[in-house]
Amino acid sequence: MTRSRRHAGRAVKVLAGASAALLALAGCTQKNTGGGSGGDGGGGGGDAVRVAFVPKIQGIPYFEAMNTGGKQAAQDIEGLEWVYNGPTSADPASQTQIVRTLIQQQVDTIVVAPNDPNSMAPVLQEAKNQGITVMTSDTDAPDSVREVFVSQASTEGIGQALTDQLMEAMGGSGKYAIVSCGETAENLNSWIEVQKSYTASKYPDAEIVDIVYAGEDQAKATAMAKDLMNANPDLKGLVGECTTSAPGVAQAVAEAGKIGEVSTVGLGTPNSMAEYLKSGASSASVLWDVEKLGYLTAWAGYHVNQGNDLSAELKNASELEGVSYDSQSKVLLLGDPLVLTEQNVDDYDY
Amino acid sequence: MTALDERPRTPRRGPTGALGGRITGQELVLIGVIAGLWLVLGLATDTFFQAGTLGNLAYVVAPIALVGIGMTVVIASGGIDVSVGSAVTVVTVIVAKLVRDQGASFAVALLVAVGAGALLGLTNGLLISLGRVHAIIITFGTLNLFRFIALRIFDSEQVAGVPGTLAFLGGGGAGRTWNVPHAFLLMLLLAAITWWFMRNTPSGRHYYAMGGDRAAARLAGVNVRRQEILAYVLTGVLVGLASTVIIGGGGLIGQNVGVGMELQVIAAVVIGGTSIMGGRGTVLGTVLGALLVGTVSSGVTILHWPSQLTSLFVGVFILVAVGTDVLRERARRRA
Repeated sequence: MTRSRRHAGRAVKVLAGASAALLALAGCTQKNTGGGSGGDGGGGGGDAVRVAFVPKIQGIPYFEAMNTGGKQAAQDIEGLEWVYNGPTSADPASQTQIVRTLIQQQVDTIVVAPNDPNSMAPVLQEAKNQGITVMTSDTDAPDSVREVFVSQASTEGIGQALTDQLMEAMGGSGKYAIVSCGETAENLNSWIEVQKSYTASKYPDAEIVDIVYAGEDQAKATAMAKDLMNANPDLKGLVGECTTSAPGVAQAVAEAGKIGEVSTVGLGTPNSMAEYLKSGASSASVLWDVEKLGYLTAWAGYHVNQGNDLSAELKNASELEGVSYDSQSKVLLLGDPLVLTEQNVDDYDY
Repeated sequence: MTALDERPRTPRRGPTGALGGRITGQELVLIGVIAGLWLVLGLATDTFFQAGTLGNLAYVVAPIALVGIGMTVVIASGGIDVSVGSAVTVVTVIVAKLVRDQGASFAVALLVAVGAGALLGLTNGLLISLGRVHAIIITFGTLNLFRFIALRIFDSEQVAGVPGTLAFLGGGGAGRTWNVPHAFLLMLLLAAITWWFMRNTPSGRHYYAMGGDRAAARLAGVNVRRQEILAYVLTGVLVGLASTVIIGGGGLIGQNVGVGMELQVIAAVVIGGTSIMGGRGTVLGTVLGALLVGTVSSGVTILHWPSQLTSLFVGVFILVAVGTDVLRERARRRA
């Protein structure tokens, strides 16, 4: 009995020692990544303002680019510490789990790009109850307690830019089709609505003949685009509505040998679209500056936590030109969409 | 030798005598359904019978059917492999990077693809055979494991700018002769060989015996473990070939390549008449099943119908196929 108890006691001591050492280590790294200490005493995490961003999924180019921008902001702004932690699959449950962990770590600001706005809302409420600043970025959770939503672009901006770019390539008239992705993706569907009404009002000689859904599957987008070209021999344009179908439709045009005959535009990241833009399989890719979106997210996470007025702060931030803040809807808008073409695509690396 | 060599359980029951028993009832039904659909599509649109449309269909079907050949052997022998989608992801990213970064030739790329696929298949086979746990659990584990490996190799980036080294097997002009994709011809050739192997060799018959009653097959002298491991290695080799077809003309390889492919493959196998419980099934049926699913998904797009109808049709096909299988099994027991 006594022996085993003594053993247990020793084990506890060893464990305690180990965890103390770990904590000390963690403290060190925190101070190191925190950069220069501002000394204005934020939350419980030390003297820097810790802004934690939870992407929909970790490890994909899009969110890694946001992470790059956030890190840049942490270097530029004194007293800002950037934490990046997301699930390995786009799964609402594991995402809420990560947010709960961050609440326990008492970060100062939590910014989420929710996979499921509805299941995220109560967790954000929990965070707010703990005195944590709560925001959304990239995707909103409108019915939550979030204080600010950092929006990459307006629905109208994206929808109109896609249409204008395609019409420029098609000469303002002819039939075109849209290859979208998830059938329930709200942002994609609202862009499509804008494309429909904007095409009808501004380009009466153009017509959307079909809208199909390929899921987040590039090969399927390619197959569907080929079917669309075969079914509509007079098709002049294709839109790839998301980052998998944009290269998908371009690949289809290249494989069908119809470069110059069928024009494509889409929402694709620079690295994935570069070769298609250069070969002419894609005329333009409409996106936003993803690194700048990450920068803005970190910047806002800091200032909202400090209780600063965003509109006033924006006037002093020359690096954030084009950004606007609507205090009514509490939406911080990155600005006009970024149009990638053969000329500028190599300026971006993500 | 043993009684097994005398075809103890033919894959078909019931009379189809005119064709010498080479084609089963389910296959005849599938051929009829596909022919009917093609007729309808040909009449409803003036573009379906264009070489371009059918060529695309054949190219889309090829990788599914290729993996389906191996999956048929695995399922007929009483196993299943749900890790094939993730295995495709691993092989595709390895080969895509090899071709782009090392400038590997067609032959090297093909060899690496087949080798890597075989290695992943061997992993599955050994774990299942030695672990004595049902294959669905083991391959569900390796599904996640392979996915992890693939994501590590991707290293948070897509593989962009893959050159057309493998274009001979791709979906573009270089991958076709008279508009017939080479990938489809390769698939037909391998399907024919496997079909003959499963029908006419003792080793092939042993797979049906294992699927029917594993313990009895072992008692009858079948080297159950070796057979089983070989089935998963075969599937791995076919995964490798399917990956080269997917890379094809090159371009962009995204991180979700292959994701969910196992379900498409299993759907083709089940619709093709292979019993999910093992003991019965043919490669010809699987090829037809893949063709049917491909036709429906193309047809829905060509007819301007909502994309979601594809799911409805595929779902109905699976339920009908499984339903007939269950009814057939009951009738056989009663008889």
